[in-house]
Amino acid sequence: MKKIFTVLSISIIITGCGGGDNNDIYSDGFDRNALLINITDNIIIPAYNNFSSKTTELENTIDQFIAETNQNNLDLVQTKWLDAYMAWQHIEMFDINMAEEINFRKKMNSYPANGSRIELNVLSESYDFNDPNHYAAQGFPSLDYMINGLQNGITIYNGADGGKYLAYLKALISTINFNTNEVKNEWISNRDNFISSTENTATSSLNKLTNDFIFYYEKGFRANKIGIPAGVFSGSKLPQNIEAYYHNLSNNNTSKNLALEAFTAINKFFSGVHFNNSTEGSSLKEYLNYLNATDDGDTLSNVIIATINTAEAAINDLDDDLMNQINTDNYQLLVTYDKIQAAVPLLKVDMIGHLSIDIDYIDADGD
Amino acid sequence: MILSVKKYINAYTDSSPLVIFRIGFGLMMLFSIVRFWSKGWIEKIYIEPSFHFTYYGFEWVKPLGDKIYILFILCAISSALIAIGLKYKLAIITFFLSFTYIELLEKTIYLNHYYFICVLSFLLIFLPLNSSFSIDNLINNKKSNSVPRWTIDSIKLMLGIVYIYAGLAKINSDWLLQALPLKIWLPSKYDLPIIGETLMQENWVHFAMSWGGMLYDLLIPFLLLYKRTRTFAFLLVVFFHVFTRVLFPIGVFPYIMIISALIFFDAKFHKKIINILKKIINPISKRLSQINIQNVKFYSNKKIIWVLAIFFILQLTIPLRHLSYNGNIMWHEQGYRFSWRVMLMEKIGYTTFKILDNDKNQFFYVQNEEFLTSYQEKQMSFQPDFILEYAHFLGKHFKSKGFENIEVFAESYVSLNGRRSQMYIDPEINLLNIKDSFKNKYWILPLK
Repeated sequence: MKKIFTVLSISIIITGCGGGDNNDIYSDGFDRNALLINITDNIIIPAYNNFSSKTTELENTIDQFIAETNQNNLDLVQTKWLDAYMAWQHIEMFDINMAEEINFRKKMNSYPANGSRIELNVLSESYDFNDPNHYAAQGFPSLDYMINGLQNGITIYNGADGGKYLAYLKALISTINFNTNEVKNEWISNRDNFISSTENTATSSLNKLTNDFIFYYEKGFRANKIGIPAGVFSGSKLPQNIEAYYHNLSNNNTSKNLALEAFTAINKFFSGVHFNNSTEGSSLKEYLNYLNATDDGDTLSNVIIATINTAEAAINDLDDDLMNQINTDNYQLLVTYDKIQAAVPLLKVDMIGHLSIDIDYIDADGD
Repeated sequence: MILSVKKYINAYTDSSPLVIFRIGFGLMMLFSIVRFWSKGWIEKIYIEPSFHFTYYGFEWVKPLGDKIYILFILCAISSALIAIGLKYKLAIITFFLSFTYIELLEKTIYLNHYYFICVLSFLLIFLPLNSSFSIDNLINNKKSNSVPRWTIDSIKLMLGIVYIYAGLAKINSDWLLQALPLKIWLPSKYDLPIIGETLMQENWVHFAMSWGGMLYDLLIPFLLLYKRTRTFAFLLVVFFHVFTRVLFPIGVFPYIMIISALIFFDAKFHKKIINILKKIINPISKRLSQINIQNVKFYSNKKIIWVLAIFFILQLTIPLRHLSYNGNIMWHEQGYRFSWRVMLMEKIGYTTFKILDNDKNQFFYVQNEEFLTSYQEKQMSFQPDFILEYAHFLGKHFKSKGFENIEVFAESYVSLNGRRSQMYIDPEINLLNIKDSFKNKYWILPLK
């Protein structure tokens, strides 16, 4: 009896130690808190502020275009649209919390735009932007269709159904601004919470940031911008699937510029460089260096940066018009894809391995 | 020799350890099924995926869709019946069959502890766990207060095999000389209270725990066997398993091992627990005690002894089959499963597949998330038999889509215990030409 009691009580005491649900800041010696503060205060929030000011400007020019529907004002909308799209490249990777909840990324940047769905929406004047079937009928690609893709654009806006087209344009931009404000405001109000979540669980801040960063690199960047148009997943090339397809038709360098801008964002995030200037703060790079992650004599972080730079250089070497590149010499795009791809195992296997990021969600006994 | 074997087979002992083991086993199984269900894992693992990884030789085990719930219900009911000892034989056979079928359905969730439960429940089919303190006694008006010694000893032997092979597997250079993978895992547990930022970060702790774990596994069966060290050993069992539970997501396994280890205590200890149980069910047991159940002698069945002899010979040899393959077993994983190799490696992989269409002379890459859940993809990416099975699935899939003349290549990078990631599968080999077998998988590139 006594024996059983001792055994039981010891078990309970030991089991009790497993809780750990208080709000202390934990670390493996590395200051995760400083990393989160740098990424949040110097990258994410400034990037969102910048982005939301660009989308507000875009809305203003659209309002102006609605008031005075002429080519001059449409040109202005096109310019502001591109500014906002460039700014978007800095936030797409942060698909966390509110952004994830409202499917922000999919609503903002699902391409190619679904032209026939857009036309239907315009004319029927009834649609639900929260319906996944309408993700490709809103956001930047749909604006691209509306302002750069309509043949005889200005005559349509001034035509019989012009009012409906203008109304849809307004609906698109006000939805973008509404969603953007929701996400931005949550980043600001939830900031303290976010930076103090330093434990190592599947839902803690750094784990989510890191997973989303890798997911973005693999999907939003590698696959969407280069892989899919080059036909990496389909066997045959799909040039109409490039980002900003319609704007690129007239300006020729839009898709490439957006991809290069995204590279800047990727580099800044990995090295912790501030959004507004070139000051470097705490980052995944610093974390890896702290953990002494090495790779054939060099540090893992250097190898990752070098690999990403090689990929960036490869994109730079492509024809300014990605569509032209695909149509004339797609092989170069496939080579570029391979160079982008080279960083994926480094991020997904080596970096994750060193950080020991906890993403398990079912039992495991380590085999 | 033969004489002493005969003498051993005919030796009898008190049956109460079997009773407590039966109740403990039944309740633990019931608990773990309810837990599995409540976490939504039935849906996630058995219903959601469109493709299931199966075991070599068991490809005929087919998913049941929503009917899988029937199997889980069957499993839960039989667990409860085992605990109370009602229709024990039928219950344990049902449990073994349903549980094993569930496990065979999806290889991605292979866990040594699930395999342990399959093996143990098979063994229990042949043991008289309902010989006393069971409902069966009331129904049959028969009980056996003493049972052959071998019945209890075979459970001890099974546990001993698990621990000793787990200990032997830890004798490798990564584990002992570099404290890997604990050196990777423990520092990442910095969010544990008190020890997280202190002990878990210390190099000596990583080594102490590696060596301690190895010695624990190798010695614990013996410490439990000897009466003098038994209580100490049991406290060690509790400490060890609860500690691993705190550190790692290993579910109910620690508790199963703790409950199982009670079998090493003598009959007196188990009788005390039975008395406590009797007091709990006092009102019923008072009435029951008035019923006079006949105490009959339990006879050993020779056939059963032969079955168990073969069973244990297999249990002793299966974990050694890796000896017939060259190279690092943690890298190529040939002979890795069913061998009590637990917590030995941190392995991460990234594997993509290239489909070459010879008719059109073009290629494309597969997006794994179209076919696999994220957990399946993670498991597939570093285990060669998964990679091969999936490659064949892709081959069949794309052939059915009209691609007649295709070849499938894997581009695979794997990192083992913190080493730099390396190419894992020969990227030049068309996996559709490879059939899975026990032959050496030459298409796995060697660990540098």
